[in-house]
Amino acid sequence: MRLPSPFARKWSAAPAAIVAVVVLLLLAGIGVIVQSEAAYRDLQQQETRVQADILAASVTAALDFGDRVAADEAIDAIRVNRQVRSVGVYNGRGALIAGYSRDGGNPPARLAEPVMASGNEIVSAVPVTSGRERIGTVVLAADPEPVSRRLSRYLVIGLLILMAALVVAVLGFAQNALKRANRELEERADALADANAELKVQVSERGKAEEQLRQAHKMQALGQLTGGIAHDFNNLLTVIQGSADMLRRPGITEDKRVRFAEAVVQASSRAAALTGQLLAFARRQPLQPEVIDLNALIRGMTDLLDRTLGERIEVTTELSAHTCTVEADRTQLESALLNVAVNARDAMPGGGRLVIRTASTEDPERGAMIALSVGDSGAGMDEDTLNRAFEPFFTTKTTGKGTGLGLSQVYGFASQSGGDVQIASRPGEGTIVTLLLPCSGSAEDVRTVEGNTVLRRGRTGRILLVEDNDEVGEFAEQLLDELGHEVVRARSGEEALDRALAERFDLVFTDVVMPGMSGLDLAGRLAERRAGLPVILTTGYSDEIARSGAGGRPVILKPYRPETLAEAIEQALSDRQG
Amino acid sequence: MKQALRLFLAMTLCLGLAPAPARAQAPTEEAVKAAFLPKFARYVGWPARMQLGPGAPFQLCVIGRDPFGRMLDSAAATEQIDGHGVAVRRLPSAAGAGGCHLAFVQGAAPAETGRLLLALRSQPILTVTDARAGPQRGMIHFTVVAGRVRFFIDDAEAATRGLSISSRLLALAAGVRQRR
Repeated sequence: MRLPSPFARKWSAAPAAIVAVVVLLLLAGIGVIVQSEAAYRDLQQQETRVQADILAASVTAALDFGDRVAADEAIDAIRVNRQVRSVGVYNGRGALIAGYSRDGGNPPARLAEPVMASGNEIVSAVPVTSGRERIGTVVLAADPEPVSRRLSRYLVIGLLILMAALVVAVLGFAQNALKRANRELEERADALADANAELKVQVSERGKAEEQLRQAHKMQALGQLTGGIAHDFNNLLTVIQGSADMLRRPGITEDKRVRFAEAVVQASSRAAALTGQLLAFARRQPLQPEVIDLNALIRGMTDLLDRTLGERIEVTTELSAHTCTVEADRTQLESALLNVAVNARDAMPGGGRLVIRTASTEDPERGAMIALSVGDSGAGMDEDTLNRAFEPFFTTKTTGKGTGLGLSQVYGFASQSGGDVQIASRPGEGTIVTLLLPCSGSAEDVRTVEGNTVLRRGRTGRILLVEDNDEVGEFAEQLLDELGHEVVRARSGEEALDRALAERFDLVFTDVVMPGMSGLDLAGRLAERRAGLPVILTTGYSDEIARSGAGGRPVILKPYRPETLAEAIEQALSDRQG
Repeated sequence: MKQALRLFLAMTLCLGLAPAPARAQAPTEEAVKAAFLPKFARYVGWPARMQLGPGAPFQLCVIGRDPFGRMLDSAAATEQIDGHGVAVRRLPSAAGAGGCHLAFVQGAAPAETGRLLLALRSQPILTVTDARAGPQRGMIHFTVVAGRVRFFIDDAEAATRGLSISSRLLALAAGVRQRR
């Protein structure tokens, strides 16, 4: 609140001004009346004097010749004027010659000089001269203008002034009221601004609190996620480590060696798929669709599913013979199926049946579709869980048992592929997850079957390997050596640049994410100084590449297989020579 | 009406009715007439050729018999006509009346008065006569009404001589012969 004193001062100053103006007006009015009164009195005085002058002129001869009768006759003419109170004509010696008084009496018998007005009458004394001699005096007394007539005249002026004063007062007070209203408005605006500022503070505080809450949720989700990833990875690492340990045993049979090595390869590819899935989720990586025969894909996965789901789960497939092909990202599709299957397994801790079906169906909007459904005989879901099933990070599993990303990956994949996901479930009655994918008209792509193929020896050359990680670096060095190349290894971008400028190389194979000069920087510099020297980039995940691309250079994603690397090198070398 | 009444009264007076006895204290009739004579000059305008030069006196002439004597001299002495003194000249006949502005004319007999008036007829002289001396009238003709000295005025005659008589004086007259 403001101090009231300036407020009160402002409030009292305005009426003072109004009062002053009104008083001024009134004074002016009184002045006008007084002046007019004086002017009018002057006028009357003049009129009286003129009458006395006329009378004096007309009685000159009468006085000269001492003719009272003639003087009376001259005076008689004045009687018509009712305003004249008395007239006296005196001779040179001051004696009354003729005269009358309206009230019936006589004017004073002798002239009293100077002539004084008695009461409010207007008196004029005029000498009567003949030749140059003063022969007498005429005294004429008249009524002033009647009070009533004067009043009525001044009443008009007074009324005008009063109205003017009234107008001024009304205007003044209206102005004042306006000012006060303005001030109140200002105060309200101030109060509003204060309230607004307070609200803003509250909003920002609330925003902060929400941000903190979100952060807490994120941390919780991250905890679940990392727990889930750790769980999955631990499972896979158990297989890889165990198999590797078994392989190290002496005297192992050829049959077992192949089985354990196969297990390592499978578990590794599963782990790679898992990280790929994470990255896909995080980066919304574009799909790489290919035409797939769904039945063939499922048949190829049954082995993996059996092993993943465990012995207590019986996996059966009911595949329709008349299904069409679909166009989808193979890895993502496999992941989706695996995710649904893993969920089903977790819903059946005591074991049960998993049925995978394919069927043709028709969607009114999207046309021919194929439905891939996975049903389990597990616990089912209540409505609340069902509603949130597709939410990222939503999981019913305890921390360390799941990422909460499974179904959201399935949903994301399905909608990106132009399909849909449906879940039918009731508590105690199991769950059926149906993946709907649009039919593709094309036949299945011919797919090179990967396996433990013998590495084909193609072109060889002198390769500069840039890798800051020792384990990966050593492995890559051995791999390249195995492929028949001459390998020189650098541990940083700067070192690599120096060597590339100093020596001759056929190809540079560099990691992207390194402290100091990154692989992309190195590639850029080399393009300037050693144009024509091919560069192959490799990375597990690079923000830089995700953001701005690799500039048309080949990128091999970690973990990579020897065949992939061999193919890329073969391609690069042949491009260079060709 | 009033003037007619006064005229009537004057006529009856002239016809020989007994005049009102003069009051003991009041000035004599002749003294009043002597006082009136120079005063007439104030109310009369003369033609341009009769205008007075600076210092020249106004000439009041008594032609024929003089009934006033010293009274007229003293009355004239106190009078000033527009700054000019009044000189009294006494003439036995109309001869030599050329410079007179105003002339009291009274012959020894009424017929004599008539002859004198006739002799002055061609000149711009304000002629004054008295009813006591006979019925012959000058431009101003004294009479006495109810004991008061009054006069008739013959404005028509004055006009023929080029004289103008003030209306103020006309207003005091007991009777006026109006100019045409």
